Amino acid sequence: MNAIINLALKDLRLLFRDRMGFFFTLVWPLGLAILFGTMYGGNRADQPRAVPVIVVDEDGSAESQAFVDSLIAAPEIEVSLASRSEAIERVRKAKAVAFIALKQGFGEASQNPFWGEPPAVEIGADPSRGPETAMVEGILMKYASRRIQDFFTDQSAQREELERARKELRTAENIPERLRSNLENLFASLEGVLSDESYLASDTTESEEGFSGFQPLTITRSEISIRRRGPSSAYAISFPLGSMWALLAVSATFAVSIVHERTRGTLFRLLAAPMTIYHILAGKALACFTAATVVVAGLFCLGYFAFGVVPNSILLLALAIVSSSIAFVGVMMLLSTLGKTEQSVGGASWGILIILSMFGGGMIPLFIMPGWMRTLGTVSPIKWAILAIEGAVWRQFSPLEMLRPCLILIAIGAGSFLAGVHRKLT
Amino acid sequence: MLLAFYGERQMLRLQNVSKRFGEIVAVDGLSLEVREGEIFGLLGPNGAGKTTTVNMAVGILKPDSGSIEIAGIGPPSRPEARRKVGIAPQSLAIYQSLSAQENLEFFGGLYGLGGKHLRERVVWCLAFVGLNERKNSLVKTFSGGMRRRLNLAAALVHDPPLLLLDEPTVGVDAQSRNAIFEKIEELRKDGKTIIYTTHYIEEAQRLCDRVGILDHGKLLALDTVQNLIAAYAGKTTIIAEGTEGRVEVETTDPIGELARLHARGKLTSLNIKNPDLEQVFLNLTGRHLRDV
Repeated sequence: MNAIINLALKDLRLLFRDRMGFFFTLVWPLGLAILFGTMYGGNRADQPRAVPVIVVDEDGSAESQAFVDSLIAAPEIEVSLASRSEAIERVRKAKAVAFIALKQGFGEASQNPFWGEPPAVEIGADPSRGPETAMVEGILMKYASRRIQDFFTDQSAQREELERARKELRTAENIPERLRSNLENLFASLEGVLSDESYLASDTTESEEGFSGFQPLTITRSEISIRRRGPSSAYAISFPLGSMWALLAVSATFAVSIVHERTRGTLFRLLAAPMTIYHILAGKALACFTAATVVVAGLFCLGYFAFGVVPNSILLLALAIVSSSIAFVGVMMLLSTLGKTEQSVGGASWGILIILSMFGGGMIPLFIMPGWMRTLGTVSPIKWAILAIEGAVWRQFSPLEMLRPCLILIAIGAGSFLAGVHRKLT
Repeated sequence: MLLAFYGERQMLRLQNVSKRFGEIVAVDGLSLEVREGEIFGLLGPNGAGKTTTVNMAVGILKPDSGSIEIAGIGPPSRPEARRKVGIAPQSLAIYQSLSAQENLEFFGGLYGLGGKHLRERVVWCLAFVGLNERKNSLVKTFSGGMRRRLNLAAALVHDPPLLLLDEPTVGVDAQSRNAIFEKIEELRKDGKTIIYTTHYIEEAQRLCDRVGILDHGKLLALDTVQNLIAAYAGKTTIIAEGTEGRVEVETTDPIGELARLHARGKLTSLNIKNPDLEQVFLNLTGRHLRDV
């Protein structure tokens, strides 16, 4: 074990004494983290283009279903359907911005646009999501108004509705006489308007003005506190991405250093010492692991003190860093077998690592990638390392949720390490 | 008679060792013994099998057949046996971005040295090779000769009784070469056993007690330098010019021959070429180029 530690300390000393190596291992990733964090500062990087909402149809009428259909077709929101309890839970878990409940009586109220209460809708959202909730409210009003507008531009529907309303007015008993008389006058006027051919031929867009100030829905809000999962700032996203570059730099540097030992002759002296090739490889692995963990941890220390990147769980962040480092130690070992010279191994390493980074979300966030790229990224350790680190920094992963990415990272590390050692020995 | 100066203990013993690389036979049934306290020269043209032999002796390569034993302990695969060996490879096996002291501390640590003992050994080694003043300088700032000396020091740091020096004077100036010779002779006085491989035959002739000449993986001859010269170098050549004209004579009795030439007439110039180890080497391995 002393020999392994001795080898590792030597490699760490060499790494940090190499100015270019030090620059690409620590300064470059830090620069990227600060640059991208500043570029996207103030914006929520996970802002979806369509607001995800859950619709709860508590009325179950044809009118409520028609309104739901119009919401599903709306491009501004991404609708899914659920029961109230399920909707509340999903909003609480921040899987949707809000739920929209079409209350009982929605259909009946929709049929009486001229009197009584407008159809009632409840929006349930976290109080902190005021802008999104207001946006959802506006979207509901827009589509409810459009339904009324559609109604007033459909003459046959209007006539049917007018006739139905007049019948109801005649049979209704609890309407004050003055209102009854006013409504009868209104219906008579409307009938006259509907019979006027020039009205029918007129530009319907002008009629939109007639609905200004009209309240097509009664919207109530209910508060649901979500379990926070969003990043506290853009740095909470850029520092995990920056740490990936640190891991890439460390693994490429150590892959080259293994070849360097051979080409510079020092491997000969190491092999002649009283230890096995396994000690030498273990020493390299330990040095690479130590460098990766120290550099990434250092990056997050800097992020914590200088940029306010406060992880949700220090312990889980440590677990994520350790797992990611293990993965990249394995990758390093495999990369070191890709050539016989520093140039070939260095070139191949960076070529492969950049592709892994590209598909794994190390360059651009996964959520803005097309689906096929996200699928391809599943094989990249970068994806799992980012997920694990973000899980500890801002995704609020539970220890159980952390297990999956961490175990995948460890499996990638162990598999590629063994493959690398096997290739070296053969 | 010469053997009386050396210990009877064998520091390295190869018995019928063979090694192939595909179709190429690098070492073919090689047997030799290196005795404690001697400087053993291993000579051979390029591709003769010297490097393969050295690599097998330190355990980097495993022989296909035969056995190797170090210091009576066992094969070089055993860590205890490896601790008895120090090697200074031909290519400089030191870290350029570490200082001289850091290099020695690192290599000493690999052999289990630590604490005060390691510090003492490092100080001794730095002083021995004359690098004490530059102990904290990075190796990349060193001259070729300084690097060679540090390469030698790295082989000595764990105080091994058996040293393998592979072309230790390649690429150094005359002063550094001379300094290295003096250090090697000091090491011999300290009782170290040294295996010395070189292309410079005159170095082997100056330093080595016994020399083995290797070619095509086989040992062609092994004996003291004097015995090898006597056996394989041929006769002394005398080239004389005088009143009787120019005469070139090969003889086993140069003094008698000179007397005879002198008796014939006055000599105006005289050139005597004594047989040397290079002649032995060329006579045994041939004069044709090996790496064309």
